[in-house]
Amino acid sequence: MTTTTSRAPLQAATRRRRPFNPRRAGAWALLALAIAVSVVPFLWVLRTALSTNSALASNSASLLPAEFTFGAFMRVFGLQSPADAVAEGGSGAAIDFWLYLKNSIIFSSITTAGAVFFSAMAAYAFARLRWKGRNVVFGLFLGTMLVPPIFTALPNFLLIKNLDLLNTMLGMVLPYVFMTPFAIFFLRQFFLNMSREVEEAAMLDGAKHLRIFFQIVLPNAAAPLATLALLTFIGQWNEYFWPLLVGSQDDVRVLQVGLGVFKSQSPQGAPDWSGLMAAVLVSALPILILFAAFGKKIVNSIGFSGIK
Amino acid sequence: MKKSLGAVAVAAVMALSLSACGGSSSSAESAKGEINYWLWDANQLPAYQQCADDFTKANPDISVKITQRGWDDYWSTLTTGFVGGTAPDVFTNHLGRYGELAENKQLLAIDEAVTKDNIDLSKYNEGLADLWVGQDGKRYGLPKDWDTIGLFYNEAMLASGGVTEDQMKNLTWNPQDGGTYEQVIAHLSVDKNGKRGDEAGFDKNNVAVYGLGLNGGGDSSGQTEWSYLTNTTGWSHTDKNPWGTHYNYDDPKFQESMEWFAELAQKGYMPKLETTVGAAMADTFAAGKSAINAHGSWMTGQYTGYKGIEVGIAPTPVGPEGKRASMFNGLADSIWAGTKKKDASIKWVEYLASADCQDVVASKAVVFPALKASSDKAAAAFAAKNVDVSAFTEHVKNKSTFLYPITDNTAKVKGIMEPAMDAVVSGKAPASSLTQANEQVNALFK
Repeated sequence: MTTTTSRAPLQAATRRRRPFNPRRAGAWALLALAIAVSVVPFLWVLRTALSTNSALASNSASLLPAEFTFGAFMRVFGLQSPADAVAEGGSGAAIDFWLYLKNSIIFSSITTAGAVFFSAMAAYAFARLRWKGRNVVFGLFLGTMLVPPIFTALPNFLLIKNLDLLNTMLGMVLPYVFMTPFAIFFLRQFFLNMSREVEEAAMLDGAKHLRIFFQIVLPNAAAPLATLALLTFIGQWNEYFWPLLVGSQDDVRVLQVGLGVFKSQSPQGAPDWSGLMAAVLVSALPILILFAAFGKKIVNSIGFSGIK
Repeated sequence: MKKSLGAVAVAAVMALSLSACGGSSSSAESAKGEINYWLWDANQLPAYQQCADDFTKANPDISVKITQRGWDDYWSTLTTGFVGGTAPDVFTNHLGRYGELAENKQLLAIDEAVTKDNIDLSKYNEGLADLWVGQDGKRYGLPKDWDTIGLFYNEAMLASGGVTEDQMKNLTWNPQDGGTYEQVIAHLSVDKNGKRGDEAGFDKNNVAVYGLGLNGGGDSSGQTEWSYLTNTTGWSHTDKNPWGTHYNYDDPKFQESMEWFAELAQKGYMPKLETTVGAAMADTFAAGKSAINAHGSWMTGQYTGYKGIEVGIAPTPVGPEGKRASMFNGLADSIWAGTKKKDASIKWVEYLASADCQDVVASKAVVFPALKASSDKAAAAFAAKNVDVSAFTEHVKNKSTFLYPITDNTAKVKGIMEPAMDAVVSGKAPASSLTQANEQVNALFK
């Protein structure tokens, strides 16, 4: 993001020298500060991940790793024996990293794909179809955004239990896979702005709603759909409570729940900080990669909202 | 936040679990196959993994799959497991929780097996086996380990303050002036200018080193926070233990002690309660922020494992009644009532409680096993690591322990007492406010 915005002024500067502009310098200073503020915590996490637990507390202020070691990362990938881990001041806890990573990817991908697709269909109905009570239903839909998820956790849990879907991927994705009010609201705003002429022309050519939806609306809404997909994916990636309740067994346990074992082992015990930080770094990687790949698209879609 | 959400869910799921308890089935197949075993302490994982390997060697038909879960999620996943039918066959159980689990019929009574297999309960440290007999007179677990409280201290800080090891071993305490315990704590508190807590001009608002570390308000039990003090005055949590039906937080003796405890923070000898949130007390000790930490024996490995810090362990101070006091807590292994592998689970629990496994645990010098003979071996293993654990074992030898308060409604009692204690320890409410909380607590038993 920063490279794309800085390229233009740099080129301009080579062409002609600008007089010193204090406001511009101030803006750059602010930008540098913002970058520092957002990068330093990452460095701190990295520094902690490369330390041993036993040396951390007595070196709490040093910027460099206390007793440099890759032990914490090895612990995360299950390459360190529990006895070695304990000797390093870590815990004997290991997580089945690759399995949890796979589960996290499956869980986030299914829910994202489902939620985006079905929300788009619902948003299409709310934006482009005329039917009685449309706005009332939409209002009710929006109203459900006011209900905190914790209120629905228990009824959902019971439902999933009665359906015998506990500890299955299906049970984990069901509450999210169909739609979320936010996604519908978000997409509806884009769909409302689409020109009616195109749609009418398609209708004159004999296209039905299904065809209009798939061939005209969806392709034209690629940018907001991508944004929504990314937001949903990140949200699902970080989801903790529901996967904890429903998917507690290894074969469906997701990464965020797996990280919990590093957080606390015994009551009042100090967490395995270096192990936890190493795991956090590794678990944030997929999201960073996603951002690197799609970041530009998101910025564009927010800047350029829909076709006119 | 997450934690409180979890607590809500656990409470609600708990209520639902009443209707969902599975019947135990005993079939010919139940002494075969894989059993699931859960524990929360990762530091003990290597020892128990070895127990599991040895067990399978002796019983080739049974394998044990051990799952370790962090303490924060342990009980919520366990309760959802009960409801969903996916709970482990055998799990590490805690005294603060098992009363409710037994009440909800989630635990398998093992009396028959204990009689049939001639388990000699007198070989465990005194009182430990009895803790696991429920109100209905049935036995719901075999003891695995025990813990007491001691004072971990920073040797370098003591030396620079001129406090000797001998002084530390002979501390006295009373709720009026705090005795030599408060004198030492005050002396070891140092402000930013290097002034000590017992010197004139001590700046209590800019303290560099606190004499005494603080873990939290201590909620209903005060296990490591204040119970080693309050219970030297002759006070006890409940009218009888286990299965008392009346709590005593309204006792003036108790409130006087708590008043003294809260004042430590106001005098600058102990951190303020709000600064302890999210911080591990052991880590703050290792970072040189406190000179003495009262903590449990299960933390020994953690305290002695820090690099660059020499740690000593002293017994808790002698109180007004002329004795020391320490909460005596013990864990046990329990079997889920819904297990399909009843016979195999019983075999595994009996193995966990046997000398074979407890000696393995002892050799790792992490906790004290429940068997007397294994306890001694653990002390020897600690000694081999140059750690003197007599501060903990002394309580057992001199019978200066009192049992973890076991009653019904422990979760609700904790829910009432936690904010009440926090208010007192942080100085926001006088200790007399505990009388009202106590009324609420005792109303639970009517």
